[in-house]
Amino acid sequence: MAVKRYTKMAYACADDMVFGKSLEPISYGFGLKIGAGEVIPEINYAPRAGTEKDPERLRKEYVDYISKDILNRAVTAGFPNVQLETEWVSQMNQAKLSVPVVAGQKEICEKYHEEYGVNCAVRQTIPDQREAEEGLRPGMGGSHAYPEKLFECAEIACENGADNLSCESVGGKEFADYAVTNGDIVGFLFGVGYLGSIDMTYIWQEFSEIAKKNKCVAGGDTNCSGANVSMFMAGGFLDNDVQKTFSAVTRCISAARTLAAWESGAVGPDKDCGYEGVICKAIAGKPTAQEGKNCQCAHCDLQGNLIAQCCDLWSNESVEYHPEFGGTSVQCWFGSIAYEAALMNTATQLGQAKTLRDMYMYADRYRGPEAYVLAYDHAYMVGQAIAENGDDLYLRAKAAGLTGAKIILQGYESKELGLTNKQLETLQDIIKKLEELPDDTDKFYEYCCKEYKDTVPLFNPKSYDL
Amino acid sequence: MLSCEGADFSKVLKRYDIDLQVEMTPQEMAAKLLPSDPVFHKVAEEVLYMRFKSVGPVVTQALSERNPLDIINNGLVAGMEIVAKLYAEHVYYLPEIMMAAKTMEIGIAIAEKQVPGGLTPKATVIMHAAEGDPHDIGKNIAAVMMRASGYEVIDMGRDVPVVDAVAKAKEVKPLFMSGTALMTTTMTAFPAEAAMLKEAGLEIPLMGCGGAVNREYANSYDLGIYSEKAPQTPIIAQKLLDGYDWKKIREEWDDIVNGA
Repeated sequence: MAVKRYTKMAYACADDMVFGKSLEPISYGFGLKIGAGEVIPEINYAPRAGTEKDPERLRKEYVDYISKDILNRAVTAGFPNVQLETEWVSQMNQAKLSVPVVAGQKEICEKYHEEYGVNCAVRQTIPDQREAEEGLRPGMGGSHAYPEKLFECAEIACENGADNLSCESVGGKEFADYAVTNGDIVGFLFGVGYLGSIDMTYIWQEFSEIAKKNKCVAGGDTNCSGANVSMFMAGGFLDNDVQKTFSAVTRCISAARTLAAWESGAVGPDKDCGYEGVICKAIAGKPTAQEGKNCQCAHCDLQGNLIAQCCDLWSNESVEYHPEFGGTSVQCWFGSIAYEAALMNTATQLGQAKTLRDMYMYADRYRGPEAYVLAYDHAYMVGQAIAENGDDLYLRAKAAGLTGAKIILQGYESKELGLTNKQLETLQDIIKKLEELPDDTDKFYEYCCKEYKDTVPLFNPKSYDL
Repeated sequence: MLSCEGADFSKVLKRYDIDLQVEMTPQEMAAKLLPSDPVFHKVAEEVLYMRFKSVGPVVTQALSERNPLDIINNGLVAGMEIVAKLYAEHVYYLPEIMMAAKTMEIGIAIAEKQVPGGLTPKATVIMHAAEGDPHDIGKNIAAVMMRASGYEVIDMGRDVPVVDAVAKAKEVKPLFMSGTALMTTTMTAFPAEAAMLKEAGLEIPLMGCGGAVNREYANSYDLGIYSEKAPQTPIIAQKLLDGYDWKKIREEWDDIVNGA
């Protein structure tokens, strides 16, 4: 699959972006249209512990319980659309466990579409278990053969009925883990912005071919393994692990990486946990899945309303399957996201989509730097910085980080956004460090190889074909 | 874009992080905590201010004036204890903990060479991320905190097969073994490991940790104890050193971690 880097913005201006509509809508599954005018609820779930021990138990958990419960609730409450997302548990890298689940979910979706007219599809998100110490590319000789298994999983998913093939890839994670825990923005830029983008480009060219061969849609990816780790560790207002200004800048850098999947053949929607999706949508015009206030079952973030502003799918992130007072957990959380999607779609029908978009956005705009930089007007500016440097993976990621950091600083200086002393100190340090970096990719690479030789010993250039 | 003119966002959200921030600088807070002895003071400052490039020469110089064990305990470890205090007070954050611990380790490695018979750790512990689970960032942070607290850590890495983890525990007989899992379907490794340890007659506490694991789950299998976040791990370890078994840790867990 040919790689086409984005050097121009798909949207002419930030105000053109709104939830439920993208410039390049996608249709798949049983009557589902993404980004074509309506926000689609996307429900994600985790099987109960122990069900992974037996193929039949796992199939039953995913198909007869989880999928059936969700589709029943869609009918019960009158929700016309639903996307299911199965994030494969690690054991599903064995075909005997994954094939019955994928095929079974396809079958039950077809049944509910035919019997009730529910528009539905399943996103199959395959596990990326690759480990830096064993190498990220096939043939590097790791004892687990995880790179080989990654592509085998893609084949299994697409051959057995996946409507949307997605992944949460881990390229650059060896640097991201170090960088987040040590507050090292340059390490994050190198790992996620540069190396991660190289890896993303490689795997999504392969995935896109596999998907195309099987008439499956190649969806997209996320920097869950980097920017989300950063955001989760930055946590809430009383947490003291990672600074939220650091987390906000890592989010901007991660957009340059997530975009690479769409440049390498994927067509969207990307993954819900990629909060950078609004930046990517601004650049590419493809539909994005997002999660926020209705994913409290999984985690609490500081942009629960804002992040709905331009979503095309609205997700709960993930919930373990178990009983609740209102039904099973998947039914309860599906109800939560589906009613929110219904509100968005009502706003669209009443011609008030942009009003609701702005209400979502303002509700969290000043809650902290992470939300501030993702407000759609700012996200658009970060997107412009990426597109202006679109052909150079390093320069565009650096530009994204620096632009995001300066947006936050400007917000603080104009007294629009409050920062703690430590957040400000961290932000100023980030800007200084990013500005000091060379404008030449080769020099940056040489610098990083030397700088991180001892601190990130798991880095193997061969994993990135370097 | 809608105009927000006239909107009062203090009715919408409250920035507790700004309202409650500690205004004191690390220097102001540390002033009362640093050792009074000038040599130990200088060594402790190296750790406190994370000077990992200069800690070596400073410790080497100190070795000509004080004995190595005192430099470790009254300088390097004392400095790390101040760092922990600043972390608890929200003056320092995780990156400072990581860099200070690295600085302390560099200093200890130099001083330890002059301790007859080497340095004796408080105890040995084993840490790993569950079989099939690649998420180990929490385990890595906890390992740093355990080392900084004087324990020898055998870090088996991530995606560790159940049989390998148990074999290592049988060989080393650690104070406890911790396992980290971010997925509901990988945390099932912990009861399996605990059962194998029980079968071998080993009462080694098995600490369940990580995003997927909760206290109820970690307490659902014999030997199981729980650590919710990394800073709790050395606190629980100290109780085990004090003679608590896994049952007593469970019983007194709330008081032991006490909001840490």
